[in-house]
This record gives sequence, structure tokens and C-alpha cells, in this order.
Amino acid sequence: MSRPLGTLDPSAETAPRAAGGRAPDVFSREGWVPMRCFRDEDEVDFAVIGTGAGGGVLAARLAEAGFSVVALDAGPFWRPLADFASDEREQDKLYWSEERLSTGGDPLQFGSNNSGRAVGGSTVHFQMVTLRFRPEWFRARSDLGYARDWPVDPDAMWRYYAEVEAELGIAGPVRYPWGPRRGRYPYRPHEVNAAGHVLARGAEAVGIDWSPTPLATVSAPRGKAPPCVYRGFCKIGCSTNAKQSVLNTFIPRALAAGAEVRDLAMVGRIETDRTGRATGLHYHRGGRWRFQRARAVAVAGYSIETPRLLLNSAGPAHPDGIANAEGLVGRHLMPHVNDAVWGVMDEEIRWYKGPPSMAVSEHWNYTDDHPSKDFPGGYAFMSQGPMPADFATSLVSNTGMFGQALRNRMALYNNMAGLKSVGEVLPDPDNRVELAEERDALGLPLARVTFSYGEEDRALSRHARAFQREVLEAAGARDLFETTGTAHLMGGCAMGATPSEGVVDGDGRAWSCPNLWVCDGSAMPTGGGVNPALTIMANAARIADTIIAERAPDRRG
Amino acid sequence: MSPAAAPPVPSRSAPVEGYRPLAQATLVLAGAAGLVALGALLPRLARRARPAPAPAARLRRGAAVLSASVLADSATEHYRGSYHHRAMFAAPAMAGATLASLGPGTGGPGVRRATQRSAIATGLAGNLFHLRNAMRRPGAPSWETLFYAAPLGAPGALAMAGIGGLVASGLEQAPPGGETARRLGRRLALGTSAGLAATSAEAALLHFRGAFHAPAMWLPVTLPPVAALALAGAAWRPGERGIGRARGLLRATAAMGLLGMAFHARGVARNMGGWRNWSQNLQVAPPMPAPPAFAGVALGGLAALDLMEAP
Repeated sequence: MSRPLGTLDPSAETAPRAAGGRAPDVFSREGWVPMRCFRDEDEVDFAVIGTGAGGGVLAARLAEAGFSVVALDAGPFWRPLADFASDEREQDKLYWSEERLSTGGDPLQFGSNNSGRAVGGSTVHFQMVTLRFRPEWFRARSDLGYARDWPVDPDAMWRYYAEVEAELGIAGPVRYPWGPRRGRYPYRPHEVNAAGHVLARGAEAVGIDWSPTPLATVSAPRGKAPPCVYRGFCKIGCSTNAKQSVLNTFIPRALAAGAEVRDLAMVGRIETDRTGRATGLHYHRGGRWRFQRARAVAVAGYSIETPRLLLNSAGPAHPDGIANAEGLVGRHLMPHVNDAVWGVMDEEIRWYKGPPSMAVSEHWNYTDDHPSKDFPGGYAFMSQGPMPADFATSLVSNTGMFGQALRNRMALYNNMAGLKSVGEVLPDPDNRVELAEERDALGLPLARVTFSYGEEDRALSRHARAFQREVLEAAGARDLFETTGTAHLMGGCAMGATPSEGVVDGDGRAWSCPNLWVCDGSAMPTGGGVNPALTIMANAARIADTIIAERAPDRRG
Repeated sequence: MSPAAAPPVPSRSAPVEGYRPLAQATLVLAGAAGLVALGALLPRLARRARPAPAPAARLRRGAAVLSASVLADSATEHYRGSYHHRAMFAAPAMAGATLASLGPGTGGPGVRRATQRSAIATGLAGNLFHLRNAMRRPGAPSWETLFYAAPLGAPGALAMAGIGGLVASGLEQAPPGGETARRLGRRLALGTSAGLAATSAEAALLHFRGAFHAPAMWLPVTLPPVAALALAGAAWRPGERGIGRARGLLRATAAMGLLGMAFHARGVARNMGGWRNWSQNLQVAPPMPAPPAFAGVALGGLAALDLMEAP
């Protein structure tokens, strides 16, 4: 039986799809939904730059509150049912692979696990792990004595976690073992796969808690989304729409509420007037530079592109880049420690089945006093299910394995299991994004990214590797080996209680530009020991509500 | 670790996954058989001819619907589990035999009774097998094991079918009258009431797993318990009004069970690929054969009420 597997349309990457009063219907193979369109000369209430976890949520909420919103994204507008082939390499198109300069003691590698370039941002290919920050992390300096505080109310953040979890239909455990009580997840957890049971057995053997991972893929039908079929192509685009990405949740909501989404629209500079207020933005779309007027601008381009854009937006009142009066733009960039331990199991695991990380332990996020804990912060660790090319690549780059040895090792693919950490890296002003001399094809300066681990980060990384090794061995794995790496990005335009502590205030508004907001992972003052997507979304929802409360159109009279 | 030390590939004779014609045919046949049996019973259910069918016939029909439901459901679910344990064949086989034993003129009374007794034993053993399966999972006991391990209560339906068949045969061979019939009716009512509650508990667990994403999913966790209470109440204090109320609720429960199949068919459609992908979705979507079990148990309750009204 043959059935069309998709109608891959390469022109989605060169010709804008969302135009002429319509946008792609993400729940169809080739359908459309109507879209309200604005002219460049219309002064819209909000121009939102980036449509991922931060921008997508913000655009939807603002549009639903009655604001006129144009949301721009540098990436294409995909239809998951038609555009995502079940092929690892084909989907490299989902990553931000524009050139960046990476330097420092531990230069960051950019690509699959810390960038996205599509409407919906990196949530189109995120692994759907939606963990909450431990409440104390929002007051890390005051309550736990390290890093810094968020200028936000932890209780408010936890309320917004519950809201966005409901908006995403998160499938999570009935009882979560760590932290304060939380309400019931909207959907029940998925059946944990064999790779997750390896973590479970190891955790039970060493005497720590484990849990099915709360995941943004539905375990029962939700609207037009069918329940997850456990294909395992989750670290790339989900071609069934079971994954609840921003692309198939908040973007349709934004469109329905009258927002315009412009795909393949790269914003190069935010324009400001003499008083320092933003007046609009210059963006490149359809082969030429254009200018969209706006009463307010929200930047949500993530930790590299947001600082890059702000730094490149110097104006009469912002000589060093917009919102950079204190020179903080681009500083305090943080990745997560992503070190892993792998081993071979006697029994068949077939770890590619289902979402990659179906079991999690947050033990070290909630354990403060233990003789072995020689680092501040914390880390979560999760079971793994890398696809073959991904895993082979990681083997080559981490162990140098090649040729017959690599073949032998990959032949054990179906019997392998692994544990990988998401570990907190402390904010350091010297880890930063700057503008380089070199320019890209559009003439924009490239980002130069400097990163080095601190001593505390190295201690955490050592602890994570040793502990994961212990758990994996307890689960019965043999021939263990380790890989190191980073994932995710946080910081770069952090929120701070005062202008000297952050680029933006607790409501995401720039201290030195009254109608500019930052609403993405770059606004995070600390990284925590969990995947950031849910925190970015909850924070975006919170920021949206502060904007709405202050200046919703229906309250302006 | 030195690369050269990589151990050899383990060779294993795992069953080839994917297309298995024989098992596939079994699945389809079992499903079809179950549906045909139900189809044959539907008109009679609907007709409600007066005078009402004798309690024995009604009970027998209930047991038949129940065993048809178990046959189709266990054949599908155990196929999904690749029949990885030989005992998994017992469920559909025994359900099929029980269904046959309830048909007209199949074997002698001795064979039928033996079959129905074996069904009871198989059902109870199944409960234990399922319990063992659940307890072997990491984290057991937990909600997750209840959701995804073999369902603890499900095999009990086969036992219920066996009991129904045995009682029906007894009634046919020596139709009781008067006080004897009424007392038997009350006992049957209490038993059926418990069975209804158990069936509803299973629906509650699985619909909770499905997050009650459709409002209709609340129906089988609310109506049957009310019907069970009314039935137990009628058995506790027999009276015309109580019996009438219980009868109405049981009829509604039976109708709901049949309607549930349609809702579950809609559930198949809502999975990836819908009915076009039936061979997968019949296994992963809500089980089509499960809801009619309510109709089977409700018929047993109606038979009990008939007995209680014996002159």
C-alpha cells in the first residue's frame, strides 16, 4: 500500500507562505486559515519579534486581549502533516544554522538543542519536556545563597505554569514526587518506554524518586490533535501534531484572534526616536528591506538573536544599542550542562520508541544538604532515546570512535540506554553575546558568543556524570561511557530588580526604553536545572498579562 | 572504554514485528464474530416484546453479550500484547467457548456447565495474571501501572459471563417460583449490582487515563453506579416502585453500553490516520468491544428484577 508520505515543498524556505490574507492551516496538508493583514505603514500596537515559546505565547495573549499584533519570524511556516519527513537529516531545516562566531574557554556549539528557526521557534523540535522551576530558584540568592533572584513572585510563576500547562494539554504524572503540591496535569502520563524503565529501575535501586516526565504531547485526543503514536521522531518535527508546540497551539490562537504572523521575515534593527522610544522595526522579507511601524516592540528571538538585535539597534538615545544603557545586553549567557552516561543493557530497549525522555529524576534539584553535593544549583536527569544519526554523531565527537569500532557500537543501538542531565550553569557577566566585525548575507553583524564554564559548573558536571553512572550501573548497564555537551540557552537580556541588575524589569520592559519588551529565554536571570521551555512560556504569559492589565485597548478609553 | 572492546551484537530470535497474517486474521475474525453475535442480539433487545422474556433467557442473553465483548476485547488487546505469554490465548478461547455454550443446542448440559465453570476459573486466574503483570512494573503499585499494565479487573467479566450462564441453565432446568424465585432474584440482583460497579470502576480508571477529554466519557462512570445502587436497593427492600426505578436505569445502562460502541468508533477516528489506519487504531484507540459489557451486565440485572417479581 502506498500513501503520500508528505508533500515536501522546498519553496516554504524561500517564499513566504503567510501572506495575502491567509496563513497555513497547521492541521491540514495544504489548507489555509484566514489571517488579518496589516500594512507596513499601519502603526500596530505590538510588533513581536520571534514566534517561539516567548513570542508565540505573547502574541496570542495580546491579540486575544484586543491589541493589533504583527509577529515576525525569520523561519518558515510549516505544516507538520506535510512538511516533516521521518528523516533526521531532512529536518536539520528546523535549526538556526546561520553563521555565529563561538569562542571562550568552552565554546558553545549551536544547532539542534539550542536554537530553532521556524514559526513556533524551537518548540517545533523541542523534546517536549515541560518541567517547572523549583519555586526557591526564583529567589536563588535570598533562599539558597547562590546566583541571583528573579524580580518576580514565585507564586505568580507557579500559577502561570498551571495556566500554560492547561493551554498545552501537558500529559504528566498523577502525583509528582518533588516540590510543593501542584494541580492535576490536564492529561495523564504516557506509558513509560523501556528506556524510561531503565532510569526507573536504577533510581529505585539507589533509593531516589523518579517520575514519568511531564510532556507536551497529548495522551488522548485534543481538538484536532490526535494522541501521540510514539513514533519517536520527537527531537525533530512531530508529523502527527500530537506534540503541542507553539506552532500548533498558540499560533492558531493568535491568528484566530486577529494577529498577523509573517514568516521568513528577518528583523535587522529596531528604530528609535530622539526620546529613545521604539517606533518600529526594519525587517527583510521577500527579497527587500521593509519598515513596520509599531507603538511598542517585544523581542523574543532567544538568547543569541535578541541581544544581537538590541546591540545592532543603536539610535540617538541608545548609542550602544537599544536598552543597553548599563552595558548589560548580551551578558550572563547560560547554557545547561548536558552531560550524559550511556551503557549497554542485556535486554532489548529500542530506545527510539516514544518520546526520548519519558522518565525523569529531579532528585538533585530538590536536595540541598548532602555530603556529596559540592555545587550550588541543581540538575535533573532523564532517560534518553537518540535517533541513530544523532547518536552516532555524538559517539564520534565524544569518543573519537570510528570505522569498525563505531559500527560495532552502533550495532548495539537497540540494547543501549542512557541518562542525560540538564544542569544549572551560574550566570557570569563574561559569558556574553557581542557583535562581530563580520557580516551575514543581509549585511547584519554576526553574533560573537563567548562562553567558559566556572568552577561550580564543573563541579556540577562531575557530580552529574558520577551519579548518573551509579544509577545506570544499578539498572544493570555495562560498558559505560560518558559524553559531555550543553543544551538550551538562558540569559543575555536578563530581568533585574534595578537597571544595574538587568536589561529589563520584572515585567519584561526595558529599563531604558519604555515601549520595548524582552519576552523569551534571554530574560531569564538564572537557568535552573530543568528544560527552559515551560518557564519561558509561563513568563511570557505573565508578561502579557501585566501589559494587558496596564494598557489593554478596552481599558484605554 | 577502548573502542575495540565493544562486545558482539547479541543475536536474538525476537518475533518479527509488523505484519503477521495469521494473527491479523485472528484479530479480524474475533472482532467480526463478536460484532455478529452482538448484532444478532440487538433486535431482540430493542423489541422488548410483551410479555417480557423469561428471566432465564434474558440472563443467558446477558451472559452471551458479556462473553462476546470479552472475546473481541481480549482477542484485540492480547494481540496488541503479541500473545507473548501462552496463557493469553486462554481469554479469547474461553470467551468463545462460553459464547458457544450459551447458544441454542451446543453440547449437552454437562459440557455447557463445565465450560461455564471453566470460564469462571479462567476469569479469576486472569485477574491474578494481570495483577502479577502490574506488580512487575517499575514503580508498582502506582497510577501509571494501573493505566498501562494489564487491566486488573477486566478478566472478571469472563467470570461474570460464566456465572450468568450457570444461573441461567439452572433456571431453565428447574424454573423456580414464588418465594424461591424472589430470593434467587434478590441474590442475583446484589451480585449484578457488584458486577456493574466493578465494570464502572474499570471504565472510570480508563476514562481517567483519557483525561475525560470528551464529556460523554462521564456517562459510564455515573449512570451504572446509580443503576447499581437502585438495583441493590430494590433487592434490599423489594417494592414495585424500587423495581420500576431499577428497571428503567438498567435499560438506560444497556442502551448506554451499545451507544458507547459508537463513541469508541469515533475515538478510533480521532487517532492518527483514523479509520483508514484501522489495523493500528482498533488496538490503540478506546476498545470498541468494551462498552457493550455494560449491556450484558444490565441484562443480568433485568433478569434479576424479573425473578423478584415472580408471583
